Amino acid sequence: MSDFQLALTNTAGVSSVMSFWVFVASNGAKQWKNRMLNVASLVMAIGFIALTVAIITRGIEAQRFPLSNLYESLLWFAWATMGGYLCLAGAYGIRQLGWLAALTAATMFLYGSWLPASQHDIAPLVPALVSYWRQIHVPPLIVSYAMFFLGGLSGMLQLWHAGRQKSLAMVALTVAMAGTAVGLGTFTTVDTIYLQALFVGGSLGGMFFAFRLLGSITPSSLNVEQKEIFDDVSYRCIAIGFPLLTIGVITGGLWANHAWGSYWSWDPKESMALVTWLSYAAYIHLRVHRELAAEKLSLVAVAGLLLTLLTYLGFNSLGFGGLHSYGKVK
Amino acid sequence: MLESISQSDAPAKSSLEEHRSELLNVTVISDMSEAVVTQNALPYVAGSKPRAAVSPVGPVKHDFEIKLEKFLWDLLVSMGTVRTAVILIVTTAIFVLVGAWCPQESAVGQEKIIEQFGTTTAENLIKFGVTDLFHTPLFLLDIALLSISITVASFRKVFPRLKLLKHCLPPLAEPEISRLAVHDKFLVNDFPEHALSMVASQLRKSGYSVQIENDKLVAEWGKFSRTAASVTHVGLMTLLVGVTISSWTGFSGFQPVRLGDKMSFATSDHSKLWIGELPKFELLVKSTRREDYPTGQAKQWYSDLAVIDPTGKVLATQEISVNNPLSYGGVDTYQSTWGMDQIVLSFNGQEKKLDLRPMGQRYAAFLPLDPTTILIFSIKEQDQPLRIFAKRPDWPSPRMLTQIPPGGAVKLGTVNVKYIRPVPVTGLQYKCDPGLPVTYVAFGFIMLGVSLAAFPHRKIWAATQVIQHADGASTMLAIGGVANKAKVGFERSFAKLLKSLTVQFKDVGAVAGSQVALANERSAKCAAENEHV
Repeated sequence: MSDFQLALTNTAGVSSVMSFWVFVASNGAKQWKNRMLNVASLVMAIGFIALTVAIITRGIEAQRFPLSNLYESLLWFAWATMGGYLCLAGAYGIRQLGWLAALTAATMFLYGSWLPASQHDIAPLVPALVSYWRQIHVPPLIVSYAMFFLGGLSGMLQLWHAGRQKSLAMVALTVAMAGTAVGLGTFTTVDTIYLQALFVGGSLGGMFFAFRLLGSITPSSLNVEQKEIFDDVSYRCIAIGFPLLTIGVITGGLWANHAWGSYWSWDPKESMALVTWLSYAAYIHLRVHRELAAEKLSLVAVAGLLLTLLTYLGFNSLGFGGLHSYGKVK
Repeated sequence: MLESISQSDAPAKSSLEEHRSELLNVTVISDMSEAVVTQNALPYVAGSKPRAAVSPVGPVKHDFEIKLEKFLWDLLVSMGTVRTAVILIVTTAIFVLVGAWCPQESAVGQEKIIEQFGTTTAENLIKFGVTDLFHTPLFLLDIALLSISITVASFRKVFPRLKLLKHCLPPLAEPEISRLAVHDKFLVNDFPEHALSMVASQLRKSGYSVQIENDKLVAEWGKFSRTAASVTHVGLMTLLVGVTISSWTGFSGFQPVRLGDKMSFATSDHSKLWIGELPKFELLVKSTRREDYPTGQAKQWYSDLAVIDPTGKVLATQEISVNNPLSYGGVDTYQSTWGMDQIVLSFNGQEKKLDLRPMGQRYAAFLPLDPTTILIFSIKEQDQPLRIFAKRPDWPSPRMLTQIPPGGAVKLGTVNVKYIRPVPVTGLQYKCDPGLPVTYVAFGFIMLGVSLAAFPHRKIWAATQVIQHADGASTMLAIGGVANKAKVGFERSFAKLLKSLTVQFKDVGAVAGSQVALANERSAKCAAENEHV
């Protein structure tokens, strides 16, 4: 990795951290709030541009499409999260999503920076990845994961504006537990069975209690207009992510058929992608037919976020096998 | 909802009424189409009495038969409900999640499962079918129910909604427009026709298709997105057809084949086909090799294959590699794995084959000399020298004795060791999938359908009314709209439309009345809801 590329990536990482703090600080400064939100969005835009150039530079240096291992996919994920937020902020004027988007991007940069040097280095491709299908199959998936994250985060903000603070606290705790399990699985030698229990058990328990706590409303944080906006943003993110996930899963099947003669082999990662697809298919059915209230749909969106996390990072870090081991830290 | 419609025995709704219901009470839409189908096509409906218990010419039906028929029909109808679909989707997701968590025997074998979970747990997992979950009757039943649900929902709910595409949106009058999700009014000192044409012009600029009927205007954007569910369901049903064809007529398998050996298809999965027969030809591995990066990491594997008929005639030849298969006679053969299987040595002229095991990037064979000494033969590539090591208990690590190039020989004590050749093995994956073209078409439909679903369907109505007052006459322009998704985005674009209309009306000096600000109205509504909560 060249110094230029490293500097650009670091610029993007620092930008995401800085914009996060400015977004957070804007909540405490009523007079300067709008100006600070503008500054935070601008800083994130600078980070987004730097990351775009960094990814292009990496591709030029590697002389291939720069999306072949976990580190590179994290760069793409952060890029899609930042870009997705900037588009949503432009379309909806919802800059409060910014601090969660910046936090997600910063976490991904941090996670990526802690990976072994072998992940940062530009390495030759294994035979299975030497195919044009790689650039068709992987980018839609990574962008869809980022959109699902933004959808889940918007769902959390919807819960806040709907006055469901207790439910939101439980959701935040659940996401934190899941993230902790993934982090421990990646960087420590803790037995994966405990981490699987932490992730799955924590998610099931957390979401169950979050649903139970929906009845508890805190009127002080109630804002009907913002609640409706974030409900709409959450659905919009998922409505964009779902076709991308579908395209990613299907093109993965086409690649597998082209390379191995079978478009579906129940590999753990592809099975998990199917689980995520099914969960969002259920979300869309519930949404279109108005079977659930907006707050419950927000919780379904957060459950989708957890499944996305499990599909994207969990399966490799929590000790599941399969054909998609290039996403694994060796 | 279904029950109430059928019990009321209401006549089928006209398209106009369907549209009106859709606009003013959006939850009705699926039931409207349901009602149309129900009234026209179905013999019995949940909750309704059977139409005829006695056939005019046939025997009298017993109560039991009628009840059974009704029960079965109700069951089928219930399979097509959204609730059933969601329950089956979630059940399938749980099955797949468990199957993804637990390694499957078909992929890793039982040894790996025992190694991962321990003997007792592994035995229980195997006993309850968790290690072969995707072939268990329970999972197959779930998939069958999901398939039925998709099919019933498609024909009862999804496809009938396509009828709505044929009909144009009905124009709405001012009172109906006032009940839409977003709406506003202008009092304009202009002719009604001119006011409507200004609205139409503005909407056309934004990509709407606009129709004006007398004093009313109807505009739509993204009507194509209404086909999304139908296209996706067509894709899912086509996928079911493709998978069925594949499972009845296709076969697949994997076989490691040594250099110089032949592979037949007799041992493939589903070797007893329901329709058709296995091919008679075989594949001969003429040569196989590995290509490395400068770092020594594998870059590509190649196998030169010949297709041989039962008489020994060569029908075709091709060198395959990963991502570059051989297609012959409807069978595709893929380069799947590669390795070194054996080395052929001669000890004082006596030929012996030793099995190799993968050891990191190399392969090694072990030959015990005596109870304490083991000879280790290590190679990496076909054309690289064979290294010979010895290991004794009192040595901390194996000691290299010598190395021999391919075809070379060395003297080890009194034994003359000759390295004759390595025997590489190529892992060939093959499949014959006659249902694949159908499956690919299904993939296309599904991708198209879910992509269409991302677009919102926006509808705008406008109506004019001449208002007489002391100074003469003015035109009251009512405008409103709805969107089925991205509602906030629609509200914003609607507000922009109002703003630009205001400017245009001002430009022509036509604004005479007040414009009710959407934002104020919305804020008032929100404040009221907050108060209520």
